[in-house]
Amino acid sequence: MANNVFDVSVFFIVFRETLEASIIISVLLAFLKQGVGRSSEDPLLYKRLVKHVWVGSAIGLFCCLVIGGAFIGTWYSLGRDIWGSAEDIYEGVFCLIATIIISIMGLAMLRLNKLKEKWRVKIAEALEERNHYGKGWFGRFSRKYAMAILPLITILREGVEAIVFVGGVSLSSPAKAFPLPVICGLAGGILIGYLMYKGGDFVKIQFFLIVATCFLYLVGAGLFSKAVWYLEFYKWVQLVGDGAAESGTGAGSYDIRKSVWHVNCCDPENDGGWMIFNALFGWQNSATYGSVISYNIYWIAVMVAVLLFLYKEKNGYYPGLKSWTLKRDAKKVAKRRAKMEARRAEAAAAAGEEYEETKTASV
Amino acid sequence: MRLSTILLGAATAAASVAAKTVQYDWVVSTVTANPDDLYERDVVGVNGAWPPPPIVVEKGDRLIVNMTNKLDQPASIHFHGMYQNGTNEMDGPVFVTQCPVPSGSNFIYNFTVDQVGSYWYHSHYKAQYVNGFRGPLIVKDPDEPWDYDEDVYLTLSDWYHDDAFYLVKNEFLTLRNPTGAEPIPDAGLMNDTQNVKWKVEPNTTYKLRIINIGGFVSQYIWFEGHDFEIVEVDGIYVENQKASMLYVTVAQRYTILLTTKNTTDENFPFMISFDLNMLDNLPDTLQYNTTGWLTYDEDADFPDAAVIDEFDFYDDFYLVPLEKEEPWEADTTITATVIMDNLGDGANYAFFSNETYVAPKVPTLMTVMSAPENESTNAWIYGSNTNAHVLEYGDVVEIVLNNGDTGTHPFHLHGHAFQVIERSNASDSDDDFITYDASNPGIINEYPMRRDTLYLRPNGYFVIRFKANNPGVWFFHCHIEWHLEQGLAMTLIEAPTEIRERITIPDDHWAACKAGGYSYEGNAAANTENYFDLTGEAVQPDPLPAGFTARGIVAMVFSCVSAFLGMGFITWYGMSELKTTEHEVAQVMGEIPLDDESGESK
Repeated sequence: MANNVFDVSVFFIVFRETLEASIIISVLLAFLKQGVGRSSEDPLLYKRLVKHVWVGSAIGLFCCLVIGGAFIGTWYSLGRDIWGSAEDIYEGVFCLIATIIISIMGLAMLRLNKLKEKWRVKIAEALEERNHYGKGWFGRFSRKYAMAILPLITILREGVEAIVFVGGVSLSSPAKAFPLPVICGLAGGILIGYLMYKGGDFVKIQFFLIVATCFLYLVGAGLFSKAVWYLEFYKWVQLVGDGAAESGTGAGSYDIRKSVWHVNCCDPENDGGWMIFNALFGWQNSATYGSVISYNIYWIAVMVAVLLFLYKEKNGYYPGLKSWTLKRDAKKVAKRRAKMEARRAEAAAAAGEEYEETKTASV
Repeated sequence: MRLSTILLGAATAAASVAAKTVQYDWVVSTVTANPDDLYERDVVGVNGAWPPPPIVVEKGDRLIVNMTNKLDQPASIHFHGMYQNGTNEMDGPVFVTQCPVPSGSNFIYNFTVDQVGSYWYHSHYKAQYVNGFRGPLIVKDPDEPWDYDEDVYLTLSDWYHDDAFYLVKNEFLTLRNPTGAEPIPDAGLMNDTQNVKWKVEPNTTYKLRIINIGGFVSQYIWFEGHDFEIVEVDGIYVENQKASMLYVTVAQRYTILLTTKNTTDENFPFMISFDLNMLDNLPDTLQYNTTGWLTYDEDADFPDAAVIDEFDFYDDFYLVPLEKEEPWEADTTITATVIMDNLGDGANYAFFSNETYVAPKVPTLMTVMSAPENESTNAWIYGSNTNAHVLEYGDVVEIVLNNGDTGTHPFHLHGHAFQVIERSNASDSDDDFITYDASNPGIINEYPMRRDTLYLRPNGYFVIRFKANNPGVWFFHCHIEWHLEQGLAMTLIEAPTEIRERITIPDDHWAACKAGGYSYEGNAAANTENYFDLTGEAVQPDPLPAGFTARGIVAMVFSCVSAFLGMGFITWYGMSELKTTEHEVAQVMGEIPLDDESGESK
């Protein structure tokens, strides 16, 4: 995106990844509170473990920032003048990549509780796992500092994911468009995570998230339209050569045969205010059939996706995939049961008891 | 190689030859030529040869050019600078004074030459002359006032490797060229060749006629080590004016007296050089200087021309005609602004104010002849897209041109030499314009210079005046061929009533119209019933749609609706989470869900 100070896509990605990371931390802290904190046995242990969580998170965050900074720094110092005459194709492709990334992660933001649940399960499993770490040095270390390692690893993972995505959506932004959205995204994600930990008014949080997601998809629609626009503009420049650049916003800067509207002002490439309009809504002063139709197709796709997700949530499977989904789920459940049975058998063996396979009704 | 010499020496000045008829029989056909030694191409040749031959006549002679068109396209010939007094039908521009001469037809130009000087002839059918159909037209004067030893001519030209019609259709007048960038020439030519070695004798005065027969670029000309005197421009004798460099636009002529040196030990280069400001880009392969040599000694070296820092040329505005006239008072003024802009087909066109020139269906002269007497003085019948102006006989007509463009434009008026009243400088920046203000005039000479082709400076203006005492339909247009194709022309219908009295169109001209299937009676729309009904006339393309048309508004509204609908769906999705959440929270508060059988939450 040509936004020079605040790359909106970067903001959303950092926001979302920070949100996920802060949810993980809040889940961990909640575990600790319930597990260790409730029993007044060892308040010091509780405090120590809480410290572990924070230290692990901080180290993880620090590593992310270092890696991210290095990545972005190298990327920009390598110079990006390699685009040359194919610049418009690159711009178009970058917009396309950006819109795909943020479109996919967008709707998930509206299912934060699902996210929380997912992490609860994962963290619980991970905590279980630690009982089965090996006896060597690494095993003991891991067991002792599990509360620190867990957040560190998950934050690192989320962070690198964020860096990669940010790299993907910001291919066409200048370096100075980074700091502000990153900071805002971090702040926003931490805030929401904190509110969720405190068990605050979920309704208000959800409203905020709905508004944020609407904006996200406005940006996504704009990006998709821009991708198509850039590719069409590239074809025009190939046809006309230097004349296109000379013409500024006037006649000759666009292909009359493909034009849906054209105004000689309000050019997002040059006009600051309109640049923001372009970043948020994909506004072009010279719209083509391609750019307008693609904008509308994007929204139709979003609406179809919502319908599909709602259907799945109600029924457990996507329309038309009922039998496939049920089969897959049955396999998953069977795998889990097998694992659980194995653990029970182990525990029984350790306790010297006889092991009886629990019988449950088959799903 | 000698410079072309006219078969006249100073010796014949004493005896004047009685007026005679000089006839040229020309078969015009396609031949091949390679004048710059870089590329052989098809050109328009005369009698199987190229370049076309010079026409040489004497004042008072009757000139007859009997043209047979064996090209696969129409043709015509315009004798540039000839006043054609009483013979407007012989002037040559198609759809102005004649129909195009169709392939296979014959056409006779027949008129008396009652003027003297250096002129030229060229096709006036679209861009045909750029394909090589042009040559010098010399009118000798038995009573000229100068002493000299030899009378010679030198033509300058730009040269293209591609066919001019191809360039117009595919590269110039198309939406792929929205800035109207003119095609860049491939070479410069002197006398339709290069490396001219002009054999000169020492201590000799040559009368050299310099004629720019090109289609686009103005050229500077200078002779190293030699100054000269300007004695004639465009057929108007002037007081001898010493100069060392000239700026010659296309279609202009300068006759100079050049006296050679005493010594014969070295040769001196003389140069013609493109005015590079006129070219939109400068390809590396372009040779914009063309060198010739004043050859004193054929065995001596032929040095390269020296590089010069600036072009210090003589401004022809300050020439003083030998026949002095004070500036006429204008009876009527035509004011127009030269503008280049795009129309709805995406191509770039040229306008006088807001109108570009589109050729009418009937040649304007034939409309004058066929219209009812009282209607022929009404400019309406000549078309709404021909920039037509009707002039009254005897009026002094003033044309004020303001240049709304940053280019240099050489404008030519058929049928007249005009007084050059004012010409401004170019403005300092591309965004400033200098417009004519009659109450605040610029420099006006006591005895204004006169000529028939004058250039307009970038963003500046000029003012010219002429007397409407030559009944006829006269074209006034930019002589850059590409701009003429873009429509930078106006039609002056001078004294239509007198035209009907004095002009007779010969049978072969009518025959050419019939043979080509062109209309030759009626108004600009070929309507012979009602001359005020112009339905069906040729008009310029529609303008570009400005801003939001219906389709733009629909698109915008639709897109906004999609966005709002989409956001509505997103909100729906987000809200549905709230219902399930409360249910969930109640279910799983604080518990570790190891007992969950399935991976899905309810």
